[in-house]
Amino acid sequence: MAEDRKEILRMEHITKQFGYVYANRDVNLSVLEGEVHTLLGENGAGKSTLMNILFGLYQPTEGNIFVRGQKVRIESPSQAVKLGIGMVHQHFMLVEAMTVFENIILGDARSKGIFIDQNARRREIKELSEKYGLDADLDQPITELAVGAQQRVEILKALYRGCDILVLDEPTAALTDQETEGLFEIIKKLKGEGKSVIFISHKMREVLRISDRVTILRAGQTVETLNINDVTGEQLANKMIGRELKSSQYSKTDGNGEDAAVLDHVSYHRNFKHNGLNDVSLKVRHGEIVGIAGVDGNGQSQLAMLMTGNIAPEEGSMDLKKSKVVRFDPSGFIEQNVAHIPEDRNKAGLVGNMSVADNLVLKITKDKRFSDGNGLRLKKKAIHNYALQMQKKYDIRCSSVDQEARNLSGGNQQKIILARELEAAPDLLIAVHPTRGLDIGAARFIHDAIVKERDAGCGVLLISADFDEILEVSDRILVMFEGKIMGEFSGKNPPIEEISLAMAGK
Amino acid sequence: MKRRDLLVTIIIPVISILLSFVIGAIIIAALGASPLDALRYLWKGAFGNVRNLGTTFSRATPLIFTTLCACFAYRCGVFNLGGEGQFIIGAIAACYIATKSPLTGFPAILLCAAAGALGGGLWAGAAGLLKVYRGQNEMIITIMLNYVATLFMGVVFTNWLRDGSVPQTVAVPEETQLASFLGLRATVAFPVAVIVGILIYYFLFWTSSGFQFRAVGLNMTAAKVNGFNVRRYILMSFIVSGAIAGLGGALELLGTQLRLINGFASGYGFDGVAMALIASLHPLAGILVAIFFAALRVGSTTMQTATGVPTSVSDIIQALVIVFTVAGMAMVRLPGFRNKFLQKAGKEA
Repeated sequence: MAEDRKEILRMEHITKQFGYVYANRDVNLSVLEGEVHTLLGENGAGKSTLMNILFGLYQPTEGNIFVRGQKVRIESPSQAVKLGIGMVHQHFMLVEAMTVFENIILGDARSKGIFIDQNARRREIKELSEKYGLDADLDQPITELAVGAQQRVEILKALYRGCDILVLDEPTAALTDQETEGLFEIIKKLKGEGKSVIFISHKMREVLRISDRVTILRAGQTVETLNINDVTGEQLANKMIGRELKSSQYSKTDGNGEDAAVLDHVSYHRNFKHNGLNDVSLKVRHGEIVGIAGVDGNGQSQLAMLMTGNIAPEEGSMDLKKSKVVRFDPSGFIEQNVAHIPEDRNKAGLVGNMSVADNLVLKITKDKRFSDGNGLRLKKKAIHNYALQMQKKYDIRCSSVDQEARNLSGGNQQKIILARELEAAPDLLIAVHPTRGLDIGAARFIHDAIVKERDAGCGVLLISADFDEILEVSDRILVMFEGKIMGEFSGKNPPIEEISLAMAGK
Repeated sequence: MKRRDLLVTIIIPVISILLSFVIGAIIIAALGASPLDALRYLWKGAFGNVRNLGTTFSRATPLIFTTLCACFAYRCGVFNLGGEGQFIIGAIAACYIATKSPLTGFPAILLCAAAGALGGGLWAGAAGLLKVYRGQNEMIITIMLNYVATLFMGVVFTNWLRDGSVPQTVAVPEETQLASFLGLRATVAFPVAVIVGILIYYFLFWTSSGFQFRAVGLNMTAAKVNGFNVRRYILMSFIVSGAIAGLGGALELLGTQLRLINGFASGYGFDGVAMALIASLHPLAGILVAIFFAALRVGSTTMQTATGVPTSVSDIIQALVIVFTVAGMAMVRLPGFRNKFLQKAGKEA
C-alpha cells in the first residue's frame, strides 16, 4: 500500500560531523505522504541531530535533502516552515506568559502589517483545531495548561503555519497514558488528512502501535527501514541495540556477600515516568557489581541521588549495611562509607575552580593527615604530597597538582573523582555514567578500578546508558524503564535480546 | 598554572590603576594644570607626612571593614550587598551602649564592639534566613535592608538619642572614645581592621572549615553532593560578614565620627563591594585596596588646594579603576582570551 503513495521527503547520505565525532554518517530517510514514520534508536543514535538538520538548525556536512522531489537547502527553521516542515521539540518552545492564541500566531510569516486581524486568525485556528480534534482554549495562558495540552498547542502552531511534515521528538516522554492515547488519535487524524508524521521514540509498544514504517538508527547510521507489519518487537529491539555478545574481559562473580544496600519498595515522584522511581526494590551485595541498564532518563538519576542521600524516598525504605536509613543526607551516607561517582562530574563531582589537590582532599581536610586540631590548621605540604601520590597511582595527567581541575580533560577529571572516592575504601559505590565521554584508555582504567574495588569487597551499583559498559562489568543486570525495574538478569552470559526488550519497555 | 592565575589577578588591577591615572592625567592637563604636579600633591596629601598618613589610615578603616564584609560573603557565593546597613546597625548598637550604659572606658568599648558585631550579624542573618529557608534573592533583600537601617538610624538620631535641638545623637563620652594608634590621627580601629583581615585570610585559606566554605562558594552542588552542610555555611557567611561590617560601624562611631548623624556611613557598603572585587576577594589584598582608595580621597583635597585641580578628578580616577578592573576580569574570563593566553603560555613552557 505504501508503494503507490508519493514520497514527500527524502534525506540522502546525510553526514554530520562535530569535530571528530560523527553524529550522523551516511543516513538515508524517505518519508511518504500520509504515513507515520518512526525514527527508532538509542540515546545518541543520531535521531535528534537528523531532525535538527531537517529543521534547519544544523547544516549537514554532506548529503542532500529533497522535499516533494525538489532538492532544497534548509538554512533556518523559518525556511523549514516555508517548506511545510513543522517540529514539536521534546521541550516545548512556548512563551509561558502568553496565551494559546498569542503563541500560535507568534512569528507567523503572514503578519506583514502592524495590526493583526484577530478575528480572522481565531476563525482559522478554530477550524484547524476542530478538524484535527486539537481542543484548546485560545485565551488561556500557557502556564495554566497541562503538558498534554501544551503539546496540542505546539502541534496546532505547526499546522497553522501550514506544515505537511510534522516531526514529533519523543512526544510521549512527558505524557500520561491518557494523554498519549489522545495524541495517537490526533496523529491518526493527521494521517487521514494526508499529512506525514515523523515520530521519534524508543518505546517499542508505541512504535508498534502507531507507525507505518520504521527507520532504525544506530550509532549515527541507518540500519534499515522496515514496514511495521513485517517485523516483531523483538526484531526491532535487536536491530536498535544491535549487539552480539562479546565475552567480557572481567570475571563475573555470583555475589553471595552480605547486603551492602537494600531498597524496599521505594517510590519517588512515582507519577513522573521520566524522573521518578516507581516501587523499586533492589539489593547490592558486597563484592558484586550490579548494573542498571536502560535508556537515559528513566529514573536512573533519581535512583543514584536516592542511594547517595541526596533525595529521600516518598515511599518505601532503604537499608545500608543492614540498618534502616533514617535521614537522607549526603554527609550521613559518606560517614556510612558510601562513595559516589556522580552523573555530572563538573557540576556535582568537582569544584572546578579549585586545584587538583584540593579536589582530592575535598572531603577529608579534617583528617589528621591533612590538618592539625581537627581542621584548625591545614597541612598544605601533606596535601600536596598526597596529591602527588594520587596523581601517580591513578595516572591523573596534569601539569601540576596545583592546576585548576576544570582545565583537565574529562578522563583526568574523572580520575580525580575516582581517586577521591576509592581511597576512602568504600563499602558501597554508586557510579553513574562513569565513563561517559571518555576515551577507551581512560574508560578501561576506570573499569579496572571499579572491578578491583569489587574484589576488595565493595558493593557497586553501576548506572549507565552505555549497554556495552553494563555487559562488560556487571555481575548482575537490572533494567530500568519509566521508573520501574523491568527485570533482573545474570551478568554471566546475559540474554541480550531479553534485556534489549526490557529496555524498550516490553 | 596557579602562579599564572595569581599573576592575572594582580596584573589586571595594576594595569587598571595605571590606565586610570593616565586618563586622570589627560583630564588634569585638559584643565590646564600640570598632571605631574597634581599627582605629586595627591601623593603628598595621602602619604606625605605623618599627619596625612594618619588621616589616610583613618579614612581607610571603615572601608577595610566593608571590603572584608563583601570578600567574606562572596567567597561563599553569597552576594551580600547590605554592608552599609549592617555597618549602620553596628554603629547604632554601639551608640546606645556608649551613651546609655553606665559603663565607660575599656569595658564599654569592648561591649560596644561586641554589640556592633552582634547587631550587624543579626541584621545580615535575617537576610540569610530568608535566602536559606525561603529561597529569596539575597541581593534584593540586603539592599532593601540598607534603606531600613538608614531610616531606622534617622529615627534614632532625630528622636530617641537626639542631642537637644540638633538632629544628631549625643556624642560618645570621651572615656569611651578609641585611643589614637601610635599617636597618628588614626585610632586603634585601624590595626583592629587589619587583624580582622588577617584572621579572615587565615580562616579561608588555612582551616578545613574555610576550605569547605570556599568550596560551597565555588560549586554549591558539588559541595552538597560531597556532604558539606551548605545551608549552614551560607547562613554563616551572612552572619559573619554582617558582624564584620557591624564591628566596623561600631569602631567608626567610637573612633572617628563619635555621633550618628545624617549621612553616616553613606556609600561605604557599595565601596566595599567594588573594592572586594578589585581585590579578587582576597582579604589581604582587600586591605591594600581600601587603603589605596582612602589615599585617593584624602590626597585629592591637598591636590585641590595646591594645584586647583578639583577633587572630582580623584573621583573620576576611582570610578575608572573600578570600571577597568571589572572589565579586565570579565575579559580574562572570556573563553577566547583564555584559550589564547593558555596556549601561548603552554608554548613557552
